[in-house]
Amino acid sequence: MQLYVNIAVLASIYALIACGYVLIYRVSRVLNLAHGELMMLGSYLLLTTASLFTGHPYLAFAAAALLALVVGALVYLFLLRRMTGEMVLAAVLTTVALGILLRGVMVLIWSASQQYPREALGWANPAIALPGGARISTFALLLILSTAAVYLSLFVFLRFSRWGIRMRAAGQNPLLAAQRGISLHGVYALAWGLSTFTGGLAGMLLAMDSGLDGTMVVIGLKAFPAALVGGLDSLVGALLGSLIIAAAEIFLIHHVDPLLSDVVPFLVLIAMLVIRPWGLLGTKEELDRV
Amino acid sequence: MRKSGLAFVAIAAMAAVPAAAQDAYLVGVTGAITGPAAGSYAPVVEALRLYIDRVNAAGGANGKPIRLIIQDDSAEPSKAAANAKKLLTQDNVQLLINASLSSTYAPMVAEITRARVPLLFTGGVCPKDVYPKANDMQFCTTAYAANYDSRATLSFVKDTAKEPVRLGLAAMAIPISRGEIDFAEELSKTMGMTPVDKEIIPPPTPDYTPFATKLKDANPNWVYSWAPWVTQVRTLEGLRKLDWKGNYIAWAHIESELELARLKDANLYVVGANSLFQDNLPVHQEILAAAKAANVSYPPTQMTEGWIGGMAVEAAMKATPWPPTPAKVHAAMQGLKIDTKGLRGGPIEWTADNHFRTKQYYRVYKWDTAKNATVLVKDWFAYDVTQ
Repeated sequence: MQLYVNIAVLASIYALIACGYVLIYRVSRVLNLAHGELMMLGSYLLLTTASLFTGHPYLAFAAAALLALVVGALVYLFLLRRMTGEMVLAAVLTTVALGILLRGVMVLIWSASQQYPREALGWANPAIALPGGARISTFALLLILSTAAVYLSLFVFLRFSRWGIRMRAAGQNPLLAAQRGISLHGVYALAWGLSTFTGGLAGMLLAMDSGLDGTMVVIGLKAFPAALVGGLDSLVGALLGSLIIAAAEIFLIHHVDPLLSDVVPFLVLIAMLVIRPWGLLGTKEELDRV
Repeated sequence: MRKSGLAFVAIAAMAAVPAAAQDAYLVGVTGAITGPAAGSYAPVVEALRLYIDRVNAAGGANGKPIRLIIQDDSAEPSKAAANAKKLLTQDNVQLLINASLSSTYAPMVAEITRARVPLLFTGGVCPKDVYPKANDMQFCTTAYAANYDSRATLSFVKDTAKEPVRLGLAAMAIPISRGEIDFAEELSKTMGMTPVDKEIIPPPTPDYTPFATKLKDANPNWVYSWAPWVTQVRTLEGLRKLDWKGNYIAWAHIESELELARLKDANLYVVGANSLFQDNLPVHQEILAAAKAANVSYPPTQMTEGWIGGMAVEAAMKATPWPPTPAKVHAAMQGLKIDTKGLRGGPIEWTADNHFRTKQYYRVYKWDTAKNATVLVKDWFAYDVTQ
């Protein structure tokens, strides 16, 4: 039973991070390679709001989540907006540069020490006993519930809300969408905001569960294969990809060799790229060939 | 926001300007000031700078200042090599210091071997090259060292355990940590223990519970981890989450003193070669005062390694007659005795063929729930360093 709980937790971590990659790619075809850094920034923002709103942990958490949303939108408005109309590669390289910049800035502001936002908020993280003898920490359970809530909300938002439909339209045909009066910059800024919000939320919950240090950036990158396996423009695909990769990792850790857990996401990814380059549920597009 | 952090980097950047004239002892430092491993190495560099600033304020070495030229390598071997090349060829340093991950060692060693400039490891694990018979140009002050640490740890476990030891082992998937845990596994068998599981955990891992699950399923009553602090502590937390109640023993990295107080885990032991600040020695007071005055970015309890590195640099430079050359510094370091003022169990002594120390001292600490404080479990015990 513990094995399945471990899969659920890891899949939720990957899925919550991966949906950020998908949201941006889906509307603008840009791969955000600074997503890991933005995710870590979310956790550091929580650390700051925890010290600003001492004694009000819920307010601190909400403020950090809101700030993550705003930061994402600002990244688009002040940086990526200038890449509109340029080659996609230029935008991707800009995100690489942004990631390097953020890493440096975060060390300058918050230092490289291990941090514990949960303790700053005064919350405990007791383990909860589950049927079958399995156990899960409170924040790991919250992570699973948050992932479910985020995906459900995104589904409703994209399917039924005005801005969600605009986002889908911009993703399918930006030129036509613009001609119909949709503000592409507004849609892209919203996508960046939502992506940073979900990434930041993943970072905050991870930091609450196990602490915050510089390795979080790399965890952000580890979720990238999950998004690719599922299909970079499909949220359901990201969910499925995360589940496949998490299950493969956990089974290998438990039954074969823990070391394989590091390479299996990329093995699955390579297999997927060979068989179905657009991912499990991604859109088959005209791909640039080497 | 930590203004001191900004100041630290600004000072480091200023220090990176090439030396214009031979008016000071020149010491080059490459360390992981940023990057994923920075949490373990940036405090070392900061403490080193703090110590040398104090030496300079007190008149320097032989009336001349010691100038630190600090470069960030983010624990990346290629950056460390580039830093070493720049420090050796442009800044013409007389001593090079590495405060970074072990993966940066090989390219730096290649550079110093060509340039014939001594290399001091402070903060990163001591390589076996500094053990007798030592590599001519490499020296080390860092507390932790392969093989000796596992001998000390397992001997403590054997003495403490009240029942047969079923030992779980946890390492990070980096060569130095894996090698040590493999060594501990073999050693434990010769000491009558039963190794029941060994987890080699890739860095970084989003969730340590799967590895902890496997360890717990093997039913150990002791788990030993010798790895970067993040792996040690998160494996422990994973085990506790799964309701494992056994004893956990880990290396006392610079983070350990604060972490013992955070975790308040009565069955967590840390084995180390540095005294903790709870001992409240005069030298600890000195570090605390200096850290407070400089408004440093990192907790003072993480400054011991860098402080000892500074002591070594000061001693080496004082033993180097003016004008300094790498050869003179090297000659001075061959017979150096560094008084650590109680930060270690005894002095660090280097000889012509031992660039590690002639005796390696250990202490064991744990959290005492009744006293609500970190307590000493076993006082200094030592091993002669012969090979």
